[in-house]
Amino acid sequence: MIGKPHLEIEDLHAYFYSQQHGAFVRSVAGVNLCIRRGETLALIGESGSGKSVTALSALGLLRGSPGVVRGHIRLHTDKGPIELLAGLDRYVDYELDARGSLRISKEISAWERQSRKNFRDIHGKEIASVFQNPRAAFNPYLMVGAQIMENIRLHTPTKLHHEAYDQALFWLESVGLEPAAERFENFPYGLSGGMCQRAMLAMTLAAEPKLVIADEPTTGLDATLRTAMLELLMQMQRNLGFSLLIISHDLQVVRELSQRVAVFYNGVVIEYAPSQTIHNEYDAPRHPYTQALLDAQPVRLSPKPRKLIALRGEIPSPIGEPKGCRFAPRCNRARGTMAKRCENESPPFFSPEPKHAIACWLFANSPEAHAEEIA
Amino acid sequence: MSTPLLTVTELVKSHLPNTRYWSRWNIRTAGRPALDRVSFSIMPGEILGLVGESGSGKTTVGRLVTKLTPSDAGSIWFDGHDITHMPERAFRPLRRHVQMIFQDLDGALNPNMTVRAILREMLKQNFKHTNGETIQTQLNDLLDNVNFPQSKLDVTPLQLSGGEKRRVSIARALACKPQLVIADELTTALDLPIQAQIANLLLDLRDKLGVSFLFISHDLPLVEFISDRIAVMYAGRVVETGSAVVLAQQPRHPYTRLLWNAHAGAVVKEELAATLFADIAQSGCAFAPRCPIFKAKGEPSRCTDPQTEPTLKLIEVRHQVACHFPL
Repeated sequence: MIGKPHLEIEDLHAYFYSQQHGAFVRSVAGVNLCIRRGETLALIGESGSGKSVTALSALGLLRGSPGVVRGHIRLHTDKGPIELLAGLDRYVDYELDARGSLRISKEISAWERQSRKNFRDIHGKEIASVFQNPRAAFNPYLMVGAQIMENIRLHTPTKLHHEAYDQALFWLESVGLEPAAERFENFPYGLSGGMCQRAMLAMTLAAEPKLVIADEPTTGLDATLRTAMLELLMQMQRNLGFSLLIISHDLQVVRELSQRVAVFYNGVVIEYAPSQTIHNEYDAPRHPYTQALLDAQPVRLSPKPRKLIALRGEIPSPIGEPKGCRFAPRCNRARGTMAKRCENESPPFFSPEPKHAIACWLFANSPEAHAEEIA
Repeated sequence: MSTPLLTVTELVKSHLPNTRYWSRWNIRTAGRPALDRVSFSIMPGEILGLVGESGSGKTTVGRLVTKLTPSDAGSIWFDGHDITHMPERAFRPLRRHVQMIFQDLDGALNPNMTVRAILREMLKQNFKHTNGETIQTQLNDLLDNVNFPQSKLDVTPLQLSGGEKRRVSIARALACKPQLVIADELTTALDLPIQAQIANLLLDLRDKLGVSFLFISHDLPLVEFISDRIAVMYAGRVVETGSAVVLAQQPRHPYTRLLWNAHAGAVVKEELAATLFADIAQSGCAFAPRCPIFKAKGEPSRCTDPQTEPTLKLIEVRHQVACHFPL
């Protein structure tokens, strides 16, 4: 099954207007992603690097002005490909000239009306999401089971009350919430954190989505619950065969769950890598930023090192277009002879090994990456 | 050997509802207390890591030590004073030596105050007889200590990023030159580079100012890295304490082993499945229903009998375990 593209994001641009600075703040600037059927893709990077905005755009949940201004999001369903941003560009006037000055105007209400129309049959059914805070995802006044039932009757051919009830019990059981009939009648506050997270997964999966987007699904869980949640996600994916887009700060989660990783920095992807390379013990070519992320992890060495290796410098300003490599000001490799090139020319993707693309001048000797590697 | 800065002995706290009121509706009011005879100590300049699953009482320990919540029984000694039942007025001069960094940042920093106002308020409160200039220099020192940019002094917390808010809350805790800081989930939901910066900051502060930390966290590799000693909590009691390296690499309590194995992804499926519906035994060893040793030994009555509940016993130098059959 793996191989055919499922969700393709091409050249996505999203901006927000900052009252404080009186300027447009770049959130996502030209992201290309491709999730293949049955595959798990992980997005990693610092806070504010555009991971969540990319995921929210694919869910059609990105509100705010101006939000998404350009790009294509193509979802391949059983009935053929659907353009999720179709007909939206006529409401947006977006221009970025060579000097970096930016002009954006957008008819927000018309844009959102069209966007809702595009996503009407997609939400929940084709693309669904698992959020970070399960308690906020449930309605506190309704029984957990009732909310799962609602999802089933809305999105699947099962419409009868008693059939949906049986289905809901089945899903509660399959995520390990037993006895299901009792759990059905629980309210969200009556479940522990780990159980609530599972109930939410049951609610998400009950609509039988083809693509699941999980934004930080394990943050704030303790070690045992986190591992249990990962096990469950993997098991459900094996059984149901959905594709998964996962966002996480935890590199271990990324390694265990995903096949491929896209590393975000400052609104762009700087590296597409097989996920086993995101490990300190694995000797692979890496973007200096990815290396810095790996180095920031606590290591078990003896004798204990005195300090962690923290990345210096601040995230560059998201206003205006940077010249050259976005990471250059903080990069420890952009020194000496490299400096001039790194600061002035934006690096294309190079491919030092198959299925691995890195946007860094360090790998200028390698062939340029193919189109399918950069997605 | 110097004397401990903080000594907590046999601390008990229950959050149980009022029995006489609730029993009218048959609502269960008995059960295990939130903290059950918790004992530990912190040396000056030491970082003690406190780990355990959600609901095991880690935050409650922090709240009791800072006297934000009264304790039910047991004693807390801080810097040679018994502060357990000390009235608030008498405790006030000591309060500035025990500070807490709260887990919920948006709840801890007043959204209507600028960073400057937040820090000045703290400095003014605790150094009453100082003039404006001294406060200004102290403010600058503080910002230097936590690497917070001067340019962002006049913004409100809403305009700061997660890492910056953390720095402000650390600066606020340090403003009154405390001897002990309780850091509750300091790095949760921060990305890796910021997390590393904050961890380095704590180590720096310890070396420069000699502050002790009680470091409460879920992040096991980080706790292992940053702490000198670790205490593991389960169901409101400390089940194992020892030096960080020894405890993480050769755990003696089955629960500690489960925690570290779970993190490394090397855990037995059955142990993990039991996690979700963690039955905490109402008498005897709380961990017994999930314990692999308990099953392997044929469910010995020592583990379930309330009379022989395991207590912390010294099994090696500076390594205590509350288990009848340590690994």
